[in-house]
Amino acid sequence: MAGRLISANHAAALAATLAGRANRTARGFCSGVYPITPSTECMELLCNQEFEKGEVVRVESEHSAMAVCIGAAASGARTFTTSSSNGLALMAENVVSAALLRLPVVMVAANRALGPPWNLWADHGDTLLLRDSGWVQFYCADNQEVLDTVLCAYRLAEDHRVLLPVLVCQEGFVLSHTTTRTEVPSQEEVDRFLPPLELPARLRDTPRALGGVDVPGVAEAHRAQHHEAMARVFEVYREVQDAFERELGRRPADPVVPYRAEDADLLVVSMGTIAVTAQRAVDEARARGERLGAVRVRTFRPSPAEQLAAIFRGKRRIAVIDRDLSLGFGGVLWGEVRGLAEPGAVVQGYVIGVGGGDVRPEHVAAVAADLAARTAAGRPVLMETGA
Amino acid sequence: MSEPSTVAGPSAETRPTPLLRPGNSNCGGCGMSSALQLFGRAVEHRRLQLVVPASCAAVTAGPFPTTSFGVPTVLTTFGAAAAVATGLSRVARLNGDGTRVVCWAGDGGTYDIGMASLSAAAERDEDVLYVCYDNEIYGNTGGQRSSATPAGASTTNTPAGKPEEKKDLLAIMAAHRVRYAASFSIAHPQDAIRKVRRALDATGFRFLHALSPCPTGWKSEPALGIELVRLAVRSGLYPVVEIVEGRKLVVNVEPDFSREALELYLSLQQRFQRSGITAERLAPAIARRWRELRAASGRILPAEREA
Amino acid sequence: MSERPHWNVPTGASPLPLEIRVHGRGGQGGVTCAKLLAAMFAEQGRHVQTFGDYGSERAGAPVRAFTRVDLAPITNRNKVYRPHHLLVLDAALLPSGSGDDVLDGAGPGALLLLNTARGLAAFTSSHDAFRVAAVDATAIARRHGIGSAALVIVNTTVAGAYARAVDLPWAVVERAFRSLGMDGDLGAAREAYAAVAVRPPRPGAIAPAPRVPAPPRPVLGLAEHVRDVPTALPTGTWRTQRPRYRSHVAPCSAACPAGNDVVGFVQALRTGGVEAAARLLLATQPLPSVCGRVCPAPCAAACNRAAYDGAVNVRALERWIGDRLADAGARAPLAARPRRFAVVGGGPAGLSAAFALRSAGHEVLLLEAGTGLGGVLRTGIPAYRLPLDVLDRDVARVLATGVDARCGVAIDGPGVRALAADHDAVILAAGLPRPARLDAPGASLGGVRDGLGFLDAVRRGERPTLRGHVVVVGGGNTAVDCARTALRCGAARVTIAYRRGREEMPAIPTEVEEALAEGVALLTHRQPVGFAGGGAVARVTLAEVEPGAPDASGRRRPVVTGRASDLACDAVLLALGQGPDPALVPAGWSVRGGRCMDGERPTDVWLAGDLATGDGTVAHAIGSGRRVAARALAAVEGAPVPAERAAPAEDRVTPAHVRFSHFEVRRPRPERHAAAADRARCFAEVNGGLEDASEAERCFSCGRCTRCDTCLLSCPEGVVSRSGDGYAVDEAFCKGCGVCVAECPRRAMEMTLDAEAR
Repeated sequence: MAGRLISANHAAALAATLAGRANRTARGFCSGVYPITPSTECMELLCNQEFEKGEVVRVESEHSAMAVCIGAAASGARTFTTSSSNGLALMAENVVSAALLRLPVVMVAANRALGPPWNLWADHGDTLLLRDSGWVQFYCADNQEVLDTVLCAYRLAEDHRVLLPVLVCQEGFVLSHTTTRTEVPSQEEVDRFLPPLELPARLRDTPRALGGVDVPGVAEAHRAQHHEAMARVFEVYREVQDAFERELGRRPADPVVPYRAEDADLLVVSMGTIAVTAQRAVDEARARGERLGAVRVRTFRPSPAEQLAAIFRGKRRIAVIDRDLSLGFGGVLWGEVRGLAEPGAVVQGYVIGVGGGDVRPEHVAAVAADLAARTAAGRPVLMETGA
Repeated sequence: MSEPSTVAGPSAETRPTPLLRPGNSNCGGCGMSSALQLFGRAVEHRRLQLVVPASCAAVTAGPFPTTSFGVPTVLTTFGAAAAVATGLSRVARLNGDGTRVVCWAGDGGTYDIGMASLSAAAERDEDVLYVCYDNEIYGNTGGQRSSATPAGASTTNTPAGKPEEKKDLLAIMAAHRVRYAASFSIAHPQDAIRKVRRALDATGFRFLHALSPCPTGWKSEPALGIELVRLAVRSGLYPVVEIVEGRKLVVNVEPDFSREALELYLSLQQRFQRSGITAERLAPAIARRWRELRAASGRILPAEREA
Repeated sequence: MSERPHWNVPTGASPLPLEIRVHGRGGQGGVTCAKLLAAMFAEQGRHVQTFGDYGSERAGAPVRAFTRVDLAPITNRNKVYRPHHLLVLDAALLPSGSGDDVLDGAGPGALLLLNTARGLAAFTSSHDAFRVAAVDATAIARRHGIGSAALVIVNTTVAGAYARAVDLPWAVVERAFRSLGMDGDLGAAREAYAAVAVRPPRPGAIAPAPRVPAPPRPVLGLAEHVRDVPTALPTGTWRTQRPRYRSHVAPCSAACPAGNDVVGFVQALRTGGVEAAARLLLATQPLPSVCGRVCPAPCAAACNRAAYDGAVNVRALERWIGDRLADAGARAPLAARPRRFAVVGGGPAGLSAAFALRSAGHEVLLLEAGTGLGGVLRTGIPAYRLPLDVLDRDVARVLATGVDARCGVAIDGPGVRALAADHDAVILAAGLPRPARLDAPGASLGGVRDGLGFLDAVRRGERPTLRGHVVVVGGGNTAVDCARTALRCGAARVTIAYRRGREEMPAIPTEVEEALAEGVALLTHRQPVGFAGGGAVARVTLAEVEPGAPDASGRRRPVVTGRASDLACDAVLLALGQGPDPALVPAGWSVRGGRCMDGERPTDVWLAGDLATGDGTVAHAIGSGRRVAARALAAVEGAPVPAERAAPAEDRVTPAHVRFSHFEVRRPRPERHAAAADRARCFAEVNGGLEDASEAERCFSCGRCTRCDTCLLSCPEGVVSRSGDGYAVDEAFCKGCGVCVAECPRRAMEMTLDAEAR
């Protein structure tokens, strides 16, 4: 197997670099970056890249990093930034603005718990804070997927039927600092896959106010249009997958990835690396004769409700594992998908590995065991992984 | 002082559309409007993109899809103008299209919430002209204090008058050693237009400061905006200076330090009534400020003009 | 939204639940108005709810506010669509056509309270389905100083009117205002409470149908928006006052006794040169070279530039123009029906009257007793101030129009009767030929002589030899002229004795200065009370004078004290003023209002110049001559006598109206004066005049637009443009802020109330 031994942070940086260079025949590439653990190595690598027509601006805050992307994107450049945790929280108002302005910014988040109290480790709570910001959100499960998803993110974001920013999530340390063999495409391959960005409403010389006041009626219409663009994401993403496969020889993963789910009695639904750890648990359970299946939610926004509902059809017991906790409610993913199962099905929520707890296959097995014993769903189960 | 009749006004003939269009939503007699008119006259044929953070000027742009600005404009979050401008200007430079990127920000977006991004853009020497139209108040939110609000001015959240003195922004910008930093006066159009052109044509980070009367927040007659600035300049309250590379300071308009002008300035604005701040109380701070300015200008300190 | 129609309200009583909508403009305080209304009802124990239609409205933009009143707690939180009461804080918001949203949803009998300057009558037919109440709240609030000139805050005033319109007791209003801390505005509210007028709805009248909400229009996507769409709000409707270009009266013009358009001719000189300036100047002033030399120039004394960096030297500019005019003008054509006038006296008043009448196309016979025309200009003003050739040139210009002038013709009372019989009108402008006598012992001694006679003799070429010390008594120009002429005739020493202070001397100050420079001494507060000497005067006794109580002219009457001292002298010249020839007015006639009366019958014989006014300057005489000529002509033609009233004080341009900062400090251009030592011994003209006309550029042009573009450049909206030879303001967008007027350096503009629309 070919490929380079790199971390997901570096995979993201290389993908951004390739995408940025691919826009050299158009308005170029411009990225605003600011360090924060565990996304730092991504921006560091990016800052070491050469661009024929590109700039990486080392700004003074995540807030400004996204602001640079907004300005650059408005001017028609391909843009990129990366952050984590509190960086995303500080950035939040500009994250929202980039989406509302319909600017195709791509950002990679190395997921990390918010603080203080400080915590450096994996938790989906930071990007889920941006759930309603109008961005497309992908959650990745390995380094190759991070690289491929970043490349796909540009083609998806820049499609005129979409024109939305895309957030590619990868869990801090678990992915960001984990080195695996990753295929890095050549610039020629990326150039073929990723056409130059042509932003229809980019700022030219025509007087026009980007971001002027939206009065209530106009705001309603713009929200509806934004929502419609979200709804077109799956259709466009399929085309992106096809193109990617055509040009790069492999097919990026679907928005929802079922694993031995068709004949499963018990389903474990999760995002990110827990979902692939769950696949190991499924294999072990199957070896024991238990009909366990897994579902990985890769596209969180737009919500893959239809895909999930189809998978859930006929299932009586579904466990949803969240690496996040909406305090006072439960797991965010659980809240989103529990209504998609058939009436009478048990959809039980489990919260494991928040703040970087190490989620192992035995945790998934314990979930399956707990689920198998249930006749009705109860309050979300908060499982501790221990130090 | 000024003889505006000698300033060419290339409004209708040489520009297809003015920088600030008639039918905008600004209050009558808005100082920001006056500053924009001046600025627009200086722009002439230069390609411009405007970056406006949350402020009255953001509302000026008008409801979607209209615009009151005669150039492409991006409205940004409150503290992000200098950073958004960074993105625009970097891409403009990458593409060599000669666009001059101009931030048009209020004092809140500059002195307060935008200070970090402003300082950083200045430190990075971004090719951006940052203009602060300073009405010394959060006008857009209905008139709260900012760190540009002068001592003694009543605002909705300092009803008895702000106790603290105004932040010296120009000194802060000069300390960044920016390429060009200057204050201009809407009552001194020749000087102002010269400065705007100089700032537009320089590269690297440039900063302009314009005192912009807010009749609504200052509780003054809308007609008297330009006159108030004139009084502020005359009295030494608003120094009209320019600083090149953070080193060489030049006083462009010599005040006469008229106590009468200062008293008039205070009495024409109801915002100073409640605190009862007097010219006498302001005078030492003005004198101190001017001693610093004289020192920075490299000139021998003149004798105190006023006893 | 209330489902129950409650708007058939025969009286002001308010139905419950009650829904109120307030329409106003940003800054008028509409939201507070709605809140005041709520407070009034809350005072009466009602449940209330009040809120504004919040947006990012700016001063002047249309805004709305709402108030709900009920007996039960109010639960719904939506805006008011079917108002029972509508308050319109600016009647200009009312629909000009249909489709406007101010009246939307108001049913028959709804109360419509309007802030309008036009009164109820203006709304008789248009809104007869409503119970209409009208009050001019803007005028009331403006009187009470609520808000600014550009933006009057009418909310509290309208609330007062509302209370009356719905029969709320005044005590409720007071309590509501106090509860909101707005008692400062109770005065205005009270006035509106008393002033509001209400008329009932016309039974059966149909209210406009509520608007059918239009289906939402497709909204352009943010990502597809690439076109320029200018905002173009109708900001002209936000205006409560508007700028207007209007000339005001410059102090120089107001001060000119000759009635010259001073600022006009100075500006004409600046922009159009001598010919253009002369056209304006000669309309009022036939003797510019003369006045340009000897006028005391009250214009310059009044000049708004005086306190800034020195008055504009208008006199020197007038001289510049006069001296560069062609020697003689053209003969004036006769009118269709020329009248015949006789003018008695060839001094400045007579010349002025003759010039005015002949220029207007009438025949003029000008009779002068002396040997040449010019009156005191020829006999009483020394050549070093007014060379004869200069006078001759100005006189020649008058004569060139076709005046029939005859010298050496003395006219007395019977002569006047004869002239009157033979002419349509006679103007007596014979001046004051009789010198005032000094009633003091020794006044008839040799060496004591009348100053005017002395000057006349010198003027005629005599060179009386003076020696030793000459004392001149008096403080006017004649006294100063005598003193300086005495020096030139050989006096070793000259002293002017004057009974008042130097500041009170009627003589032109610069003349006094020049005299002092030439060596003349000045003794003020002195009055001669006796002369002594053997045959010829050798001493004059001068008593000290103290200022007493002010007289009618405001000057303090001199009071002669007992303290006196003697001054040795060799000659005394008396320059104490002159009186009229008592034989000129025919016996039996009297003079009333400048006109001779034969008993109670007004004659067509008029008095002009010093004879009529005694003001004593050339400029006064010229003005008087021209004005009397106009009155005489009007009387002859049976036309109304032209009123030449002074402009109202509020139309004058005072220093407070001038924006001095507009003007560079620029000292007056000096005139070329001969050195005092050289000039004091000869009669060559002392003042050589200006080197060029650049002094005209110093003129502020008070009250007259110079197209300086300040209005255009200072307009915050950019809605002032050049138009023709002036400017146009785009009324569709002008917000009426008044910056252009405040910035106009010269008061060539004004703000006017924009009340027509309301």
